[in-house]
Formats: sequence, C-alpha cells, structure tokens
Amino acid sequence: MVDIGILLQILFWGIYAGCIYILLATGLNLIFGVMKIVNFAHGEFLMIGAYITATVFFLTGINPYLIILISMLALVAIGAVVERLCFRPILGTGKLNEIFLSIGLIYIFQNATAMIWGDEWQSIKSPYEGITIPIGSLNVPLDYIIIMVVTAVILCALYLFLKKTKTGREMRATSQNRKGAKLVGINVERMDVLSFGIGCALAAAAGTLWVVSGQVFNPYMGSIPAIKAFAIIILGGLGSIPGAIVGGLIYGIAENGAAYYLGGVWKDAISFVILIVVLVLKPTGLFGESGE
Amino acid sequence: MIRYGTIAVVAVAVVMPFVSGNLYLLNLLSLMLIFIIFASAWNLLACSGQGSLGHAAFFGIGAYASTLIATKSGISPYITIFVGAAVAAFIGVLIGLTCVRLKEWFLAMVTFGFAIIIQTLTVSILAPVTGGWDGIASPRLISPAIPGYQLIEYYSILVIAIASIIAIWYIMKSRIGLAFSAIRENELEAHSAGIDPVRYRLLAFAMSAYLAGVAGALEIHHIGYVTPEIYGVDLSFWPVTYVIFGGLGTLAGPIVGTIALTIIWDGLKMAGLTFARYVIVGVLLILVIIFLPKGLVDLPNRLQQWWKSRKKTEPVPLPVPE
Repeated sequence: MVDIGILLQILFWGIYAGCIYILLATGLNLIFGVMKIVNFAHGEFLMIGAYITATVFFLTGINPYLIILISMLALVAIGAVVERLCFRPILGTGKLNEIFLSIGLIYIFQNATAMIWGDEWQSIKSPYEGITIPIGSLNVPLDYIIIMVVTAVILCALYLFLKKTKTGREMRATSQNRKGAKLVGINVERMDVLSFGIGCALAAAAGTLWVVSGQVFNPYMGSIPAIKAFAIIILGGLGSIPGAIVGGLIYGIAENGAAYYLGGVWKDAISFVILIVVLVLKPTGLFGESGE
Repeated sequence: MIRYGTIAVVAVAVVMPFVSGNLYLLNLLSLMLIFIIFASAWNLLACSGQGSLGHAAFFGIGAYASTLIATKSGISPYITIFVGAAVAAFIGVLIGLTCVRLKEWFLAMVTFGFAIIIQTLTVSILAPVTGGWDGIASPRLISPAIPGYQLIEYYSILVIAIASIIAIWYIMKSRIGLAFSAIRENELEAHSAGIDPVRYRLLAFAMSAYLAGVAGALEIHHIGYVTPEIYGVDLSFWPVTYVIFGGLGTLAGPIVGTIALTIIWDGLKMAGLTFARYVIVGVLLILVIIFLPKGLVDLPNRLQQWWKSRKKTEPVPLPVPE
C-alpha cells in the first residue's frame, strides 16, 4: 500500500532537513546550558550566516561548503558582541525580559539585513547540484550526503571540544553548577561569551547549509526554524545534546512527512502541533531536564 | 496627577478631530485607539504572568468571527464585534487550558504556535468559509454613504476604547486583579493562600482574548477587509513592544507605549524610512529593557531618583574641631 520508495525518500529529506535543525538546536542547548537563557532571536543568526555565505559566494565563487568556516567565525564575533551588549545586562532579571529582548533583536537583525540586501527571496546553487548518488532504489543528491557529513563532523568537533579540552570542561562545569564553577576559579563571564559565540557559530553553520541546499532565504526566514529548534530542545530536553539530535531527526522526518501527506501548508504548523501535544502531556518536555 | 493626565488625554482625543480636520490623522488616531485596546488586552494577560507571543490569534479570530456573522446575518457590526470577541474568548480559554501548567518560555512558544496553527487552518480547511489567503470583505462600521462617517466612526471607537480601559482598570483594582498579581509573583504561594491558579489563568485568557477580539473586529470593520495576514507574527509582536515600551503591568503603560511608538513610527515613515524604522524601534526597545525596565511610565520616577542621587554626591564638609 505505502510505497517504500516514497518512505525512503521522506526519510532522506527528513534526515538532511534534520541536520540543519540539529545544528540550530545544539547551539541553543549550549547557550541555555551555560547561561540559562533562551534566545528567541537565535534564528536570526542562521539568517545572517545564510546571507554571509551567499554574499561571499557571489563575490568570490568559492565553494559554498568552505564558506562555512567564514560564516561560523563571523558569527562567533557577532554573537560575542550581542551577548556582551544585550544579554549580560539583563542576566537574572527574569525570563520575560529575555523574551522581550529577543523581540528587539529580531526587529534589528531582520530589518538591518533588509536594508542592506533588500527583502526579496534569494537562493544560490550548489556546485554539486544535480549530481546524485544511487543508494538502493533512490537517487540521493550528493548535497544531502555532504550536508549530513558536515553536520556529523561539526558535532564530533563540538563533542571533542567539550569533553577533551580544558575550556570545554570549564564550560560544562559552568553549565552544571555556576556557583561551584566560580568557586574553583572559572571565569564564568568568559564562559558566557564563549558559549554564546559557539552557539551562534552553530547557527551560522546551519545557515550555510540551508543556503547550500538551494533553499530560498530572505531576511525573515530565521524565525520559523528557530521556533522549531526550540520545539526540538523542549522535546529532547533542555540542555540535552543527544536529545537535540534525536529530536532534530524526528522533526525533519515528521515535517517532510506531513508536507507530503497533508500538503505543504502544514509543514510549519505540524511542528507546533507536535510541540503542543507533548507539552500538554508533559509540561517539562519529553526528557524533562532541570526544573524548568 | 494621574487623574489630570487622564482627563487631559481624553480631552485631547475628543477635541483632536476638530483641531485638525485631516482625514489621515483621523485614521491614524482610530488605529491607535484600536491598538491601545489590543495592547491593554495583552498587558492584562501578562499581569497574570502569562506572556503570550501569539495574541494575533485572538485579534484575528475576533475579526473573522465578527465579519462572518455580520455578512451572513446582516446584523450591525457594532453588535457582531462583541459576539466575535466572545468567540475569541472561547478559543482563548481553550488555548489557556493547554498552557495552564506551562512556564514562561513554553507558554510563549505554545501561544506563538497557536497563532500559526490558526492561520494554517484558516487558509486550508476553513478556506471555503474564510476565503483562504484572499480573505473576505467586511461590512464597515458606518456606511460610507452617511456624510461625516469617519467622524462618527472615530468617536464610536473612542467610546469603546475608553470603556475597555475602564473595564481593565476595574479588573485590576478588584480581587481578580490581586489574584493575577499573586499568581504572577509566586504561583505556589498563591495556591496555598487559597487562590486557584488554574481558574485565574483561564479567566485572564478569557478576558484578554475578549478584548483583543474586540480590537481585531474593530480594526477590520474600520478597514473593510480581512485576510489571514492578521494572524501574522508582526501583529503578535506589536502589542508586546508597545507594552514593554510603556510599562508592563500598569494601566497607563500600554496607552503611553502605544501612543509614543505610534507617533515615532509614523514620524519615521514620513522621514521616508522603511526598514530602518524597525531597526530603530528594536534598538529603542532594547534600550528600554536594559535601562528603563519599568517602561516609559517609570521615567518621571527615575529622573527624580537620578536627580536626588546627584545632589547627594556633594561632599559634606567636616566640622572643624574647636
């Protein structure tokens, strides 16, 4: 009855879409873990990463996949500035404040981008467009494979950083117990800036991959993926990296499945339906982590 | 002082159309009044600790419901507005039910999600009734055939706005308002003091959604056409921005914030800025959040404190020992 071919195709679409969400969600998790704040404007960093990638590509023609390094670095810088100027002053003044601050950031980023680049939809083409690799009965575009590999590489790098380096361990300590970390001499403010920067870099990577996969983008495209990333970390548990990975994959697949069976218009709404159902059943999220 | 301020503002609002017969200004004022209702409605919900990011849902439901009822039954929009708002209130309670156990971020996301879901429903399953993405025409408040209809419309909107503010003022003063503050500050303690958080959270949703629905219906009957864009993120964020700017949790906050930002917004538009307007508003918003967290209404206080602290830094001369 149900065509296995279609299911496999949805699966592949889902996994490659999931990669972008995973990167976004992991960034959010990192920031939340260390700073205990939620940045609704996170999607704007994805959008900026996308624009940086496209612009560098137009100007130089370098392989977009390599531009990922540029966009990540640029966003570490931007992220650090945002943290210092905007989030640090309001740290501890209440969660509603963080939400409102994010709204201000969204206004600024979206429209500053529109001022510079205009607000029409744009897209670029990957140099590997059209090349497909036969896997089983499917022809999987090479881009999908590369995206999955790049995501895996980034996640592994992050894992190694957190587990094996001194700074990484300091970051984990700060996220586990901020006061304790201060007591043993860790500079928690530095951890804040660092985690925010890395979180933004991950968003930038997601932005590059978004653009490379040929998807259209405009200054306003960041909000929806961001909200989905939030939904994912709520599902997977705030602060849990494996949860974000599993959640991201499920979301990617569910989204494309819904788009296929219910119609494209439900693609965004389905994420919220899932989120709402989960939250009603379990108000602290599926793998409900710390108190929130 | 507040009494005089209020009377002054109302007097200005009443007299304004005669001072300047400018139709553009009249339209601007009408919309401003509508958004004052909308912002105040959002503020009411926020008083109970529930910061919704999807209030456009109630705005839009009020608008669509009122439009549909008015077109199907021929009843005057002045009546259907209040019926449509009741529909919004009903949906508000349903949404509130899902949010009852949620904390701030989750509630914000869920409400945001509902606005999107309702928009999606409007353009897919409900399209035969709602006209899908194209939207439907809405009966005007006052028929343009009547001379001076804009003026009549303006004053009726003004009356409804004043009535809404009085209603909110009354609610905030009453035990219900106290209950809202209690559950906002500390739900657990409120509960042990005998206040049922669920009941008051839902009540807050119902009231807030009702007023937002009134505002939405008013706007659409004023404009004459409704489309699913009314459920957009833009419309959900504006009331939040207005209230933060003016002062969260106060009665005057939403009013001051809406007036201030509307003036700034329109002023910037006249200066020819399109995207830059948003950037400026965003920057102002962040500045207010960081430096003036209680909003513009707190400005007189802050200035007073700052002035007093300046005076204190004068060095006190030590008495010379004899």
